[in-house]
Amino acid sequence: MKQIMIDPITRLEGHGRIDIFLDDKGEVANTYFVIPELRGFEQFCVGRPVEEMPRITNRICGVCPEAHHMAATKALDALYHVEPTPAAKKIREMFYSAFYVADHTTHFYALGGPDFVVGPDAPPAERNILGVVHKVGLEIGKQVIDARVRNHHVIQMVGGRGVHPVAGLPGGWSKSITKEERDEIEQIARQNVDFGLFSLKVFEDIVLSNQEYVDLITSDVYTHRTYYMGTVDASNRVNFYDGMVRVVDPDGNEFVKYHPKDYLQHIAEHVEPWTYLKFPFLKAVGWKGFVDGVDSGVYVATPLSRLNAADGMATPRAQEAFEKMYETLGSKKVNGRYEPVHFRLATHWARLIELLYAAERMLELIGDPEITDPNTRAPITATPDEGVGCVEAPRGTLTHHYWTDERGILTKVNLIVGTTNNYAPIAMSVRKAAQSLIKKGTVITDGLLNRIEMAFRAYDPCLGCATHSLPGQMPLEVTIYAPDGSVIEHLKR
Amino acid sequence: MRNKTLVLGLGNPILSDDGVGVRVAEAVRTSLPPNVPVDVCELSVGGLRLMEQMLGYERVILIDAMQPGHGEPGTFQRLSYDQLVSLCPTQHMTCVHDASLVTALETARRMGLPVPREIVIYAIAVQDVCSFSEELTPAVARTLPAVLTAVLEELDIPVREEESHGLN
Repeated sequence: MKQIMIDPITRLEGHGRIDIFLDDKGEVANTYFVIPELRGFEQFCVGRPVEEMPRITNRICGVCPEAHHMAATKALDALYHVEPTPAAKKIREMFYSAFYVADHTTHFYALGGPDFVVGPDAPPAERNILGVVHKVGLEIGKQVIDARVRNHHVIQMVGGRGVHPVAGLPGGWSKSITKEERDEIEQIARQNVDFGLFSLKVFEDIVLSNQEYVDLITSDVYTHRTYYMGTVDASNRVNFYDGMVRVVDPDGNEFVKYHPKDYLQHIAEHVEPWTYLKFPFLKAVGWKGFVDGVDSGVYVATPLSRLNAADGMATPRAQEAFEKMYETLGSKKVNGRYEPVHFRLATHWARLIELLYAAERMLELIGDPEITDPNTRAPITATPDEGVGCVEAPRGTLTHHYWTDERGILTKVNLIVGTTNNYAPIAMSVRKAAQSLIKKGTVITDGLLNRIEMAFRAYDPCLGCATHSLPGQMPLEVTIYAPDGSVIEHLKR
Repeated sequence: MRNKTLVLGLGNPILSDDGVGVRVAEAVRTSLPPNVPVDVCELSVGGLRLMEQMLGYERVILIDAMQPGHGEPGTFQRLSYDQLVSLCPTQHMTCVHDASLVTALETARRMGLPVPREIVIYAIAVQDVCSFSEELTPAVARTLPAVLTAVLEELDIPVREEESHGLN
């Protein structure tokens, strides 16, 4: 048995990496995607006042603190049995939309996009935002930075703090929006809509007009037929902030739709001996291993899965883009809705459609007269006990579940974070890419390793949720071991 | 109006030694005499966001944890930006979700954005960055006064003996 190790995270021994085991014929026998362990989160929380959770949980991730802040705030609503005021709900969702614009922008232009804009086989030193700017021009680079800066400004203005917002309260939001702020945010939202349309045009011009890339997206190497999860509104359209969790089967039939508080009735977790992280699956289908199909309980929670699980988008231009994606990728309408797209690399396209939706939704909400209503907090009268809060984080459905005593002191905590949902699908995607690309006698090149990395990059996995900072830019290490354990090849970039 | 110099502590204050940069920045803030033209802030993200935070300053002093395995826990070193380019070993210089600081700064420079003229990094070797805790490990806690002194000297601020006491 030979072992190839792809180590994108060399921060610590044993941290997130891909191990590929070859058999004696030189073909891939198995792969493992190992995620780092962060210890003691529950112990850290238990005994603290639950109202601290929106500020504690947004510290566990440097990438999507806004998502944790929002899920925690919603969990407090449920735990204190309080309904936020209409203005508070609208402010929260508008704030959350600004966060989505910034986050999806960053992923496409700095992380996922370079594979297409610069090319999957380009040298690693060029496959980054600098390479994108070099390829498409300084003007686009400026637009990307501007989009990030203006939406971070909104997050700071409305959330009360830059990176780690503080405004979420049970039953509301600590800060109302003035008319002057509303006018400024409206301008920003309009710029976001233009930027969302522009980004889809960039995708069209650079990716869709290149047959080689279209073939890559639709190739079997990056295709899986699984269940898909996403939050939908009352009309079964995508919603990031609130709604019911809907799951569709690989053919697109609604499998289940449930209130987020009932997640434990529908989701169970499988344990493997080689990783501390558990693999969530659909309880009613059951765990059948790392396999595709209607009989396997594996589900996905990503931008693409949200679109697959929904009937459409709630804003007009995003809806147009939604239809275009499904039509272009050959999806047919069955019973009034598109069949799911199973091409994992189409997640990048779905992300841009979501970016446009977030921008349009932000504009819609900031134009609502009620958003400047100063009544942003409902009084709390009930005794706290237990509550679930759920939002769609950019990387998947995010669930916070807290239990307290009657004083509001935490006694138990459970979180299912976006990437955890996708742990099994990521492992499957990495395995399939490795098995498809590494055959007997294959020369391991940097481009080949990048094509394996692309399999998990589409999910934008957040490893361990706090492990957001690394020593180098996605360093990739490959070690090939002979059957006796000796190293016969070692590649590092 | 913002000052020309920024002291920036990087890290996650609820992840043991990961938060050492933040702790040093807090100590710098409380040790600065009034009216000293220095801004102090903390950040727990790297890459593009870190670069954006630095724009407009002439000089930035970063304080960050060094990955475990790089040096005896509690030791620290002063790195120039050029050394960072060749080593890039600290905890928060890179964000896996976008870009390394070096790439982010080069992108900004290429776009004509006002990047700092001088960047200095204080990199502290740490032991545990994987356990949720607000406490530093003992060796790292013991080094806080020395790092504080070094940063204050970097800022040409006289160090009073009592300031560096009580940080452990």
